Amino acid sequence: MEFRPRNYSAEKQAHALPRVRADDHPLSAPSSLPHLQIEVVDHGDTEFFDPLRRSDNNAEAAKEDLVDIETSSGAGLSSEASTQNPSKEWASFKRSLVQRFPVSKTVSTSSMSDVMVKGRKTYEKSSTSMHLEELDDPEKFAEEGGKVITGQEYVSRLHELKAELTRAWHADDRVTSLKISIKVARLLMDTSVLQCYPTLFALATDILDMLGDMVWERIKLKAEFDEDETKFCFLPENFSASDVCSDAKETCKNWFCKIGAVRELLPRIYLELALLPCWRFLVDQPLDSLRRLIMMTRGLADPLASAYCRLYMSHCMRKLPSLDTGCLLTCANDFKIVLMRVISAEETSHGNLSDNKRLLVGLMEPTIEFIMKCIFKNMSERQVGDVLVELGLGDNQVELFGRFPYVSIVLHHLLKQLPSEVVSSRAVEILCLIELSNDDSFDQCLNYRLLGFRLCERSQIDTANAVVDKAIQVIVQYDGLDEYLKVADAYVDIILQNHMDDHLNSILEGISKRACSEEIADDEMETLQSILVKLLAYYKDLEDIFSMNHFLKILDLMYGSSRSIVNMHILDIGIRNGCIRDPRTIQFLLEISRALHQDENFGNLKDDTNQPARLISQFVSLVDYGAEMESQLAFLVECRGSFGGIRGLKETLIHSSNCLAIKALKDGNRHLGFVKSCIAFSEVTLPSISPQIRQLNLYLETAEVALLGGLISHSDGLIDSAINSLQILDVLDGSRTPIDAEGVLSSIQKLFSLLVMVPGNLEHGVTYLPKNLVLMINSQSWMTPRMRVKFFCAIVSLLAALSQQNLPYHADNVKLLGNDVLFFGDSSYLHELASLCQFVLQNLVDAIQQEPSMTARGSMALEACNCIASSLILSQEISSICSKLIETGKSCLSTNNRYLQSTIQFIDHLPHSSVAV
Amino acid sequence: MSIELKLSRINRVYRPSEVVEGKIIVRSSSSISHYGIRLAVNGSVNLQVRGGSAGVIETLVGVAKPISIVNKIIEVRPSGKIASGTSEIPFSMNIKQLGEKNLERFYETFHGANINIQYLLTVDISRGYLHKSLSTTMEFIVESDKADLLERPVSPEMVIFYLTQDTQRHPLLPELKSGGFRVIGKMSTQCCLSDPIVGELTVEASAVPICSIDMHLLRVESILLGEKIVTEQSLIQTTQACTLSHLINIADGDVCRNMTLPIYVILPRLLTCPTVLAGPFSIEFKVAIVITFQSDVAKVHSKSDPTTPRLWLAMESLPLELVRTR
Repeated sequence: MEFRPRNYSAEKQAHALPRVRADDHPLSAPSSLPHLQIEVVDHGDTEFFDPLRRSDNNAEAAKEDLVDIETSSGAGLSSEASTQNPSKEWASFKRSLVQRFPVSKTVSTSSMSDVMVKGRKTYEKSSTSMHLEELDDPEKFAEEGGKVITGQEYVSRLHELKAELTRAWHADDRVTSLKISIKVARLLMDTSVLQCYPTLFALATDILDMLGDMVWERIKLKAEFDEDETKFCFLPENFSASDVCSDAKETCKNWFCKIGAVRELLPRIYLELALLPCWRFLVDQPLDSLRRLIMMTRGLADPLASAYCRLYMSHCMRKLPSLDTGCLLTCANDFKIVLMRVISAEETSHGNLSDNKRLLVGLMEPTIEFIMKCIFKNMSERQVGDVLVELGLGDNQVELFGRFPYVSIVLHHLLKQLPSEVVSSRAVEILCLIELSNDDSFDQCLNYRLLGFRLCERSQIDTANAVVDKAIQVIVQYDGLDEYLKVADAYVDIILQNHMDDHLNSILEGISKRACSEEIADDEMETLQSILVKLLAYYKDLEDIFSMNHFLKILDLMYGSSRSIVNMHILDIGIRNGCIRDPRTIQFLLEISRALHQDENFGNLKDDTNQPARLISQFVSLVDYGAEMESQLAFLVECRGSFGGIRGLKETLIHSSNCLAIKALKDGNRHLGFVKSCIAFSEVTLPSISPQIRQLNLYLETAEVALLGGLISHSDGLIDSAINSLQILDVLDGSRTPIDAEGVLSSIQKLFSLLVMVPGNLEHGVTYLPKNLVLMINSQSWMTPRMRVKFFCAIVSLLAALSQQNLPYHADNVKLLGNDVLFFGDSSYLHELASLCQFVLQNLVDAIQQEPSMTARGSMALEACNCIASSLILSQEISSICSKLIETGKSCLSTNNRYLQSTIQFIDHLPHSSVAV
Repeated sequence: MSIELKLSRINRVYRPSEVVEGKIIVRSSSSISHYGIRLAVNGSVNLQVRGGSAGVIETLVGVAKPISIVNKIIEVRPSGKIASGTSEIPFSMNIKQLGEKNLERFYETFHGANINIQYLLTVDISRGYLHKSLSTTMEFIVESDKADLLERPVSPEMVIFYLTQDTQRHPLLPELKSGGFRVIGKMSTQCCLSDPIVGELTVEASAVPICSIDMHLLRVESILLGEKIVTEQSLIQTTQACTLSHLINIADGDVCRNMTLPIYVILPRLLTCPTVLAGPFSIEFKVAIVITFQSDVAKVHSKSDPTTPRLWLAMESLPLELVRTR
């Protein structure tokens, strides 16, 4: 057996592709002439496909696809948003309503609850008086005869009623259906349930909506089909009352008559609202009825009941074909009057009612929110002016926002819905209005805050200066941190965008002054976090942050997860600009990292997406002390001590110390001692690296560095450790995924390429390491035949390389002698290589036969054949092995397989060893 | 064996000049032989005096004899046989024939407390002496003929009313009397039966919180008893019963001041009819606006006739003329 002599440099020259200078980066954006075909300079070598020179039609197409996806998804979203189904919107609104006000454990029901509490005579009086009385003295109320049932019972009773209604309707029992509906509607008169009222409302209106739909369908059926169920008429979507036959009209009139006879006002309104669309069967102007119902609602004195009645009204009116904003505006204005009455009425009464008032206003809030949303839906900017005047905000189109106070909770929801153009163009006027509107219904500072956020929606505001000046004037007067932060948070973006550094300073000063004087509460901490994160997002450089007055002081006052989040953002900025060289910055970031690491909430995150750990690792890897390598190593040692618990950080540390060693080596040989300490640092750190495969790779990396430094004993030791860690690989992890196996394989191949440079150890024999490896491989039961084949091929190539007069590459160190210099021409050396090769060849052939898959076996055989033919001279023995392998390939692959053909061609062109020794 | 009457109109409303059409539906397991199927129409005004207001003696009830409007029998089928199973026998009948002399005007159907104007259709299948005859009765509703109706439209005029502590003829709560209240409004007093009563009302002031504001529709049924005492046709002879036929709440709770509330009362069918001023009886209507104030005294009293004057009530009655229009 004889190794084929190779001249690597000549081969490289012969096989290297011609290099042509490119004008453009192949991956850069296409130039102005995207389809200019690139000249093919392949010199007719059709065997080779250069992926970068391939005509880029595919790429173009792919890009178009991308654009397509983006535009279509964008269009889809917008159209979805604009045509959002009102009934879906209503359903989700009701859901959120119920979630916002969950049913309390017990419900004390009052007058109207005989439906709820069956069989017991209940106490009757006006719901309003009941309500007021309960506010006065809840205990007395309970004694007087309110029944207490659990919230669950209450809800399930309503579900029962719905089921009863469905049953009655399907049994054609309209009278019972109507009676049940009236009962349900009457329940809504009882506002004494307070907290439960939204849930009651959601459930009851659900039932009423169902009734409305059923009645509509029934009358429509009567209008389209006669008694024998034959269709005699088709009602178009936009039918008019004259299209409806008199029978259907009669039925419809009858329903309205029955409802009109309900004595109580509230259920009468609710029922007529449920049936509102049915007016279309009778008249062409159902809006007249709606307007009357709006007026009738004024007869409900109970603020809660009337607010929710208007809510239901704004839902029902959307079922009519033409929407009238005027009706909604009347609703909103009436709501405002009721609310003003609530606010002023309780001012006069004695003391401790404010809690109840707050609860009441809170319960009423969703109704105005929904009404405002309906008003401003699909509204043009031109209409907005009219609407504002209608709502009583301004006197005329010019002065849209008057100089008199407005109910602040209504203002809040109006502000929420106003188009952003109007908000930004009228910002100063709105600010004045907010200043004037300061009542108990809503916290004024939240309106200032909302305005700030609304203004941020537009990139540019003409009156930014005036607005911010005004806002600053407002917050200066706040003594409490909470209010101060809430408002400041909303304006920080505007201040930053307009570079108002003075204002920024004064805000930070204000925060630190207030934060020092009181303990920062949790929700305040969140707002503070939001402000600081905005600041950090704006600044590109840590220097800017250092230069900000008060920033670090405020940071010191923070604690908990907010602190950690801010820390993460700081760290993110720190590592954004690449290498970190400034010692002050390094120290600062190190402290930040420590704080982050110590935070329990983050420390406990053990998954791979652990953001803080990643940031810290990145920071460590970016630290660069430049020439002061000793300090950098000291830094690494410090990091190992501080962040021992972070997974993956040790890897970074080893990489860094290896880099450091290389840097020192490049600087000349005078740092050898330092290189040794770096290697030592890596060696000490390595054993605790956990996934074995990573440990293996790091061993190899460190061994390579040691080799480059000429530290052969270190590198030998490290390679030994690598082989050891390879050996215990299986023990640690039984189930191995294919990707893992690929990784292991490539690591082993890397090890072999490293071994080319490692001088043979005379003590153990020159083939000591390869031999060890072969033994190790054979002992690993989990290795697949494919891995073994790859492995054995690699070892054949290694042995062939080691036999050459000139090694393909050397360690970049003049002092370190390669095996070529040490042993070339030594017959015992050559013999040792050849005998190992012999042994490996046998193993290789065996391994191929073990592969179960035909195609895989075929290509493995060809791979082995190529490897053997290029490594060894084709003696009789070797030729026969090669031809056997080709036979295997032929038997497993089709004859026109390109790999097979090229392998045969390759073997045929090789000089046969007529001169075999 | 069952017999059923089915009219051509679901709402069973007919005008006197119209033909009442329908089917007699007989279901039987065996065939029936009969001596003729006869259909009778009977319309009458029934007057009844219950223990009324002016000390009317119960024995006088008998005096108020029913006033017959129409009483007529037609033969739908001569004697013959009805096959087994379900048989439908159509009929049509003129209740008022031209030239035929009617006993009375065809008053519109009305169901009051003391006065009942009712039109009944009775079918009778006589089966000789051995078998019980089959019969059933059904009410149908009569509305005035279009030709007899008023040509002029209902006047859109509204009557303005106001309620203050000074307009009340009964004693009020002291705080109400001293504090005062003022509710004004307007309402139509001539009203078409098919339309609702409309109007509006505004609470301008009230020292005592309002509990509710209700609209009461009242019917005034008068019966003349005994023609012999013509000259003394006073309260004693005229039994006047004013009963509540309809109650609609238009304000619940202490409503906002100076906000206009609509009055919208749909007239209940059957319980209303055009205002009638006939010789022996009359049917008239009134609307009362009743304001209930919140009061501790009111809580003590259980629910009673809402029209009875109470300390915590304020009311105003307006006459209401109901008409049938074309």
